[in-house]
Amino acid sequence: MNEKQVHKFVNRYLEATECSILEKSPAHFTVKLSPHADRELTNRPYYWSFVDRVNAEPETMTFLFVTDKEKYDAAEEAKTNAAAVDASVSEQDAAANAALGRSLGFIHGSLAAPARVPREDLYYGARKLDQLFDAAKAKGSFVYLFQEPAKRSGNPFNSSPYTAWLGVNMRVEFACDRKREEIHCFGVSLATGQCVEQFYDRLLAHKLTPRLPANIHITKNGISFNKALGLVEQALERKLRSYDYGWAENASTRLEEELARISGYYEPLLHNALAENKPAIEEQFTQRQSEIRWQYEPRVTMSAINCGIFHLEGID
Amino acid sequence: MSYSTTPQAASAETGPATATRKLHPLVELHCDRTWFEELQNRLARGGPWDDWTLYQLTMEAEQAKRIESFDQLLCLRSLPSFEPMAHQISTARKVVHEMGGRAILADEVGLGKTIEAGLVLKEYIVRGLAKRILILVPASLVLQWVRELNQKFGISAVAQKKEHTWGYDVVVASIDTAKREPHREIVLGTDYDLIIIDEAHKLKNKKTTNYQFANLLRKKYCLLLTATPIQNDLDELYNLITLLKPGQLGGQSEFAANFVVDKRLPKNEDQLQEALSTIMIRNRRGDGGIHFTKRFVKNIPLLLSEEEKALYDAVTGFVRERYDESGGDMSSMLSLVTLQREVCSSRDAVFLTLVNLFKKTAEDSPLRPKIWELVEKIRNIKANTKAEKAMELVKEFNDKVIIFTEYRATQEYLLQFFRAQNMIAVPYRGGMNRGKKDWMMDLFRGRAQVLIATEAGGEGINLQFCHHMINFDLPWNPMRVEQRIGRVHRLGQKEDVKIYNLCTLGTIEEHIVNLLHEKINLFELVIGELDHILERFEKGDGSLEQKLAKVLLEAGNDTALKEQLNQLGSSLSRIRDEVKTVQVPYAPAPDLLVQLDSLGESVEVRP
Repeated sequence: MNEKQVHKFVNRYLEATECSILEKSPAHFTVKLSPHADRELTNRPYYWSFVDRVNAEPETMTFLFVTDKEKYDAAEEAKTNAAAVDASVSEQDAAANAALGRSLGFIHGSLAAPARVPREDLYYGARKLDQLFDAAKAKGSFVYLFQEPAKRSGNPFNSSPYTAWLGVNMRVEFACDRKREEIHCFGVSLATGQCVEQFYDRLLAHKLTPRLPANIHITKNGISFNKALGLVEQALERKLRSYDYGWAENASTRLEEELARISGYYEPLLHNALAENKPAIEEQFTQRQSEIRWQYEPRVTMSAINCGIFHLEGID
Repeated sequence: MSYSTTPQAASAETGPATATRKLHPLVELHCDRTWFEELQNRLARGGPWDDWTLYQLTMEAEQAKRIESFDQLLCLRSLPSFEPMAHQISTARKVVHEMGGRAILADEVGLGKTIEAGLVLKEYIVRGLAKRILILVPASLVLQWVRELNQKFGISAVAQKKEHTWGYDVVVASIDTAKREPHREIVLGTDYDLIIIDEAHKLKNKKTTNYQFANLLRKKYCLLLTATPIQNDLDELYNLITLLKPGQLGGQSEFAANFVVDKRLPKNEDQLQEALSTIMIRNRRGDGGIHFTKRFVKNIPLLLSEEEKALYDAVTGFVRERYDESGGDMSSMLSLVTLQREVCSSRDAVFLTLVNLFKKTAEDSPLRPKIWELVEKIRNIKANTKAEKAMELVKEFNDKVIIFTEYRATQEYLLQFFRAQNMIAVPYRGGMNRGKKDWMMDLFRGRAQVLIATEAGGEGINLQFCHHMINFDLPWNPMRVEQRIGRVHRLGQKEDVKIYNLCTLGTIEEHIVNLLHEKINLFELVIGELDHILERFEKGDGSLEQKLAKVLLEAGNDTALKEQLNQLGSSLSRIRDEVKTVQVPYAPAPDLLVQLDSLGESVEVRP
């Protein structure tokens, strides 16, 4: 994700969660979080449990999210340079700091500033951005949506047919001591059992709404949910079977080598050990073996990123 | 929605939420169906349903996080704020891609083993291969690790403090704590995805409880960090490797037969190197390159003012008297020697100690008036020669300066003194909590010109942006001096480091500075050398500090003192020369018994 993508992501998140953006540039947002976003992003469970218990009006936090550090800092510097010309203010500031310094010892410049607006640099890999990712996922996992009708039908008694689809975005992990991943997006028509790939892309082409549009009717489901699940898994499995498993063979070879090496160490040890020590050595032996299996055993896992029921126009 | 990878979990997972079948003769396919159950739940209850935009954002995030291939170093793309050095990246790559995540990182000191370990750690986290992580380090390094991981790598590492801290995903703890109950049970009952052990050479002896504890840990990946994997004995190396990969060098007897002539002399070195190359990486400093910026040391001799000298002499007399009275009992005398050292630092320091001493002595003790006499002498002192000189130096540099002192009282005094002269100075001491320390560090980086640190502040702070250092007084433990210097003189320091020792003539301080400077040549040692020198020197009978105190008390007069100190000094310089030349008959790399040159690259470290 580059700066632009991060910026766009943050923007969409803030808008979707109804945060009030106080100020923004292509490099930053100053934003007062909505209660919902505050719960997800500020790590203040105690505060929120307090608010919930006493039904208090929540005071949400304001953040400065910087999405392009370089640009933002450059802009800020230009601003301070401009401000430096206005010397009288800084003189006053210095006097205030000195006065505070006398009574409090040393004082950090930022303490004299009004309200605290913590700054977070959001870049790919930043913890705050990961938190945003998680926050999005927490409230973006299960949806139930309808396609908005393309055009208003002239005749109010004309009803267009809709089909319900099970859509699911699957992540497939190929792992041994190393790992790679793929993402597959499936959709199964609950009316006909037709299973399509890249279903997610198809969804993006439509306008979707959580409200049931007027003048539509939904075709009766022809297959059960369980059947649909089976179809998705089968389609994905068929695909996976055609892959190259050289990586797994290598991992298995390594696994065998490692197991042999461990046996080579522990078996003579066991052989020569006193009877009373044997159980302990044996335990360690099995522990080492299971560690190695855990480390190298090749495995493929499929799990869903998110999923939903989508009602799309037409009968497929 | 993730598949747990611990061994117990793997065997237990047969519930309806997952289905398992063979995908390939060697590979099982696990189908996680928790999502499907949840979807049906929500359908049955008619919701709640999530937001379409957030659904899309979730996909966008997952697509960005997707691990495209087995063999990239993905952690690099999520660390925009810092750039690891080339050898650190290639080391991390090798550990992850060729060594299966079990390795000894044995780079020479100063090449950034911590960074390498951090990269490996981050890589496994980013790839979702490691979640539960344990980092065992000496107690003094716990906070430094935590900071480094948090700041440089964006990893939420937590320092182990209470029992419940073990619940966090990434925990940094000292091995001495971890091995004791109640922690022991928790740690040994956990399957760790990754364990990192820093200063792993401390585990070389397999009879120690630390070693046995480390051997009991359950782990998937494991990194051992040490600059000296083999110091005295080839068995040390064998033991370390057994922690990581038992059998890598054969059983104990095969190892002895194949690779060992004498416990200090290897054979079949080529084979040994080959066997090691799959498990150990050792990068070395290049020969040609500039390793570090230079250190310039200047002793600044000062004459005590008349009043100060009077106090010093009085205190010295007082200490001698007490020593003679005690009939040579050392244990109670150490605190008295401190008095002498404190006079050299500031009157505030000595005053505090005297007051405490006064309180401790019985009311009718003949000592009380004597102590009071000394206090009276303190009254006469109007100015502090050293402080004035320090001020002068600071003004002269017109740059950031760090001043080290041993004593809290001196620190307070200096703060006052500097403030009175309109020089902004901030304190730093061990007792401060982390937040305050960071704050002080920020102030120093920003607007303060001077940082005044006490000894405890010596460890765990990195001050590469400052290259002037004043030793207001010197600790007697050379390691601590080295630690002070190490705060400033480290990788990342771009300037030559200038060190000034304030040294009052005609006092014990003069002797100490002489000893440390001339005899050990402490200030110009290669990093890491001091360790070896002290280890040898202190073998058996007490630390250098104790020996110094003893000499000081026992010597009747100044000439005897000089002579004794000279002896001490020459034995130190002898050891120093030995350390430099020792082990040459065995291997060209002087610090290790085995040639490990093929196990890494040679790195030109440029500041």
